[in-house]
Parts: sequence; structure tokens; C-alpha cells
Amino acid sequence: MRLAAALLGVLLATPAWAGDCPLDLGRGTGWVVFSDDYLMAFRADPLHIEVGEPFALLINVCTRRGGAAELLAVDANMPAHRHGMNYRATIVAKGDGRFRAEGLLFHMPGRWEINFDVRAGDESERLTHDIILK
Amino acid sequence: MIRLVLLVALLAAGTVGVRAQQLLDWSPEEISAVGQHGPWPPPPVQDPSNRVSGIAAGVVLGEHLFNEPRLSGDGRMSCATCHQAGREWSDGLAKARGAVELDRRTPSLWNIGYLHWFGWDGAGDSLWAQSIRPLLDPREMNGGPTRAGELLRNDAAFACGYEKAFGSKPGTDDERLLVDTAKALAAFQATLVSPRTPFDEFRDALVDGDRDRASRYPLAAQRGLKLFIGDANCNLCHLGPRFTSGEFGDIGIPFFVRPGVVDPGRLGGLQRLSASPFNLLGKYNDDVTASNTRRVRHVQRQHSNFGEFRVPGLRQAGRSGPYMHNGSLARIEDVVRHYSEVSPDRLHSDGTPLVRPLGLTPQQSADLVAFLRSLDAETPPRPAPAPLCP
Repeated sequence: MRLAAALLGVLLATPAWAGDCPLDLGRGTGWVVFSDDYLMAFRADPLHIEVGEPFALLINVCTRRGGAAELLAVDANMPAHRHGMNYRATIVAKGDGRFRAEGLLFHMPGRWEINFDVRAGDESERLTHDIILK
Repeated sequence: MIRLVLLVALLAAGTVGVRAQQLLDWSPEEISAVGQHGPWPPPPVQDPSNRVSGIAAGVVLGEHLFNEPRLSGDGRMSCATCHQAGREWSDGLAKARGAVELDRRTPSLWNIGYLHWFGWDGAGDSLWAQSIRPLLDPREMNGGPTRAGELLRNDAAFACGYEKAFGSKPGTDDERLLVDTAKALAAFQATLVSPRTPFDEFRDALVDGDRDRASRYPLAAQRGLKLFIGDANCNLCHLGPRFTSGEFGDIGIPFFVRPGVVDPGRLGGLQRLSASPFNLLGKYNDDVTASNTRRVRHVQRQHSNFGEFRVPGLRQAGRSGPYMHNGSLARIEDVVRHYSEVSPDRLHSDGTPLVRPLGLTPQQSADLVAFLRSLDAETPPRPAPAPLCP
């Protein structure tokens, strides 16, 4: 019941365009998601997400220009089954663009789409990332 | 001599042929999926919210309390009245019968210690909290809030057993003694782990690559298992070694209890959970780290919870009907027929396409039943519990 976390073992190489963004998650592993305006890196705690077990996400986020950004919400759903999580994550700001989202739980194997609502100033945006639990 | 060689060759070919027929082809993905339903049994339960969980004296006290009718209001009903060892820790009835007939079936207690939500609606977030409810419920044991304390204080054997389990004599705080009674009951119930089954032998052999041993598993059960993890997608909810996610779902069982009365299922359970002084956020949680409160802190009450009920584990299920939360299906064959023919119209408006009519052929239905019955095993007679205080 382990996450098909192929990326968990991948070294997170800080992209050259990352500037001063705090993408280092401390364990050398994780995922990077970006858009035209935002950069975000995250990893799970514990590293392996297991079906039916609570987990947290450690998230670093900033603008592509290296400015501060805020994480507003984290949620997840299974598009194939049209349902979300039975749990609501809470977010704690750790400073310097670092956040911890606590209380996520994936109760079913399959493809989960994680949604991150981020904001810098008046501009907000939703970043998404898919992971597959087997 | 030539005839003898031919005969031996034919016999060998025949044997190989038979063996080849007794083990279907299993892809690496299928073997991985099957492997996720084991190994069995899992490690013993340790519940950090319950300081007598896994403690021998707590288990013994709990088993005596489990069989004790003086915990009920009329002195005639114990936990064992409905959760009978000889009936897979249920009662064989469609609807549970306490002081009155209830609206839901008595759930089996097999492997209950491994859950995170308890009761059909998940109103309990610990096994001990869930064990308090029937003690107090006027429709069930109707014991009242002081009865457990009086028993532990006034009965010499129980007082001795309590001191051995909890390290002090029973005090005067009746609510505390009610909770401790429930914690001992939970410590006992958590030891009820179902035995290994023919499926477990097959699963281990398949994972080990032992084709000979795997081929002893009946072909019908193998075909049923392939359906279970394949086209039927049963393992999306009935997953892991216990064959349950431990979460909740709406599978199209009518939620009208009687005309004009509905059972809201998980929606009502979450309301009772938040109102309970015995949930893990309260003062009776023995886990000082509070790490076991993550589910209850973050669970969200959603409209889609209406009509959802806990996904039951499937071990020993073939022996413990009737089925569904309301006991509305008598036989396991009826359960398979339900999933084969369920009407999407019977799912309420928030229903997800997880449940759909499978349209099984008679052969496929029989194969699924054969697989489900391979999750059953005989259980040896239960010995009498050890004395409370020798």
C-alpha cells in the first residue's frame, strides 16, 4: 500500500530560475510545481504516503521573481470518482515561504489530484499536482 | 518397456496439465495487488489512547466484564448477548436486539482493534469510546452512568481485577470508572483477531513464487479474486489485509428505516462524535502526545456523508450474515447480486460512480462467492477466561 512515489527518491535540483525561492525541503527529495507566476516545492511527512494513513505536506512557495507568496489552502480529490478527502487539512505558516499542511488522508488507491491555492498580493492561483497511490 | 516409458510420460504430462489448470496466470501487477491483502495476522493492537491496551491484566478484566450481565439495567444483558463467540462475535440477526429492536445489525468484532472509526456510522474514534455507548444506551444495555463504578467497587473479584489492570483500587469517580470499564472491554476486544484462511495460504504462496502451493487454491476462488481486484474494483474500498479502508461509503442500500424515518449514517455519526465527551480530544485520551487525534481533528462533515456507512472488513464475512448495516441481505450470494444489479437511481444525489451495476454472469457471481468464502476459517472453541484474581 505504498505510494508509487517514484519521485520521492529523486534529488530535488534547485532550478537555475529559482532565484532566492526556498525550494530546499531539507531531505533532498520532493516535487516541484510551477506556473508562470509561482514556484512551489513540497514533500510528504512521512515520506511514503500510505492509503488510509494521515500525513502532512511540507510546502515551500514563492513567486517566480523570488517574492513572498502565501499558501491559502490545500485539498485533494479523485477526479475518476468525483470525490474529495474525508478530511480537511489545516495550514501552519512556518515563515520565509514555508508551510505545513496537516491532516491529509487518502482513503483509496488511485489517482489523487492535490490542489494548492497560493497568493501573492491580490493575485491568487491554484497549482495542482497528481500522484498515484497503489 | 516402451509402453512403460510412454505410460510414465503420459502420466507426467497429465499431471503437468492438471497443475497448469489449477493456477491461473497472474501478472506482476495482480500479484502485487493480491500481496497487499496480507500478510496475516498483523501485529497485535497497541492503542496509545488506552493505557491497558495490550496489558494482560486489562485483557482478562475486559473479558470478564464483556460477559458480565450486571452491567445492564435489568441485569440480564451483557456485551456477549449480542457479540457471541460462536456467531463470529455477532448474533446472526438482521437487526440487533437490545432492550428493543434496533435499526442496524450487530457488527462482528473480528479484527475490530485495527479500525480507526467505530460503529456503522463512525461515531466513536476509539474502541473504548465506542464500548461506552451500548452500556449507556437505553435501547441497548441501559446500564446508566454509575453501574460500572458500583460493580468495580463492590464486587471483590472485579475490584481486585481492576487494581491489577489499572494499578490502583477503584475510586469514587463513576465517570472515570465507566471509561476504565470501557478501556478494559476494548483491551479484550482488540485481541479478537480472525484466523488465517485459505486465501492467506494462496496469497503467501503467490508472493513467494511457490506455484505448487498456490495451485492448491480452488480455481473458482482464483477467478473470483481476479474479479475482486480487477473489473469489479472491490479492492478500492475493501483494501489491505483486513479488506477494508475503514472509511465510509454509500452503496445503494435504502436509508429509510421506516416510512418517514431515515438513518443518516456517517452524517449523524460525525455529529455524535463531536458532541461526545469521550472522543480523543477529551480528557480521557491516555496518549499524552495526542498524535492519535489527527483523524478526529481533521475529519470534515459533508453533505455526501448522508447515507454512508462504514466499509466492513471481509474476513469471516461468509460466516457472519446477515449483511449490510441494516441486515437487509440474508446471504453472501445476495450481497454479490446487489453489486451486480444495483440501480444507480438508489444512490443518493451525491453518489459517486464507484458503485455501479457489475452485470455479473452466474459463473462470475459464483466465483466471487467462492473467493469471499475463502476468507473464512474455522475458529477453535474459546477457552474460559483466566480468573480475575487467582
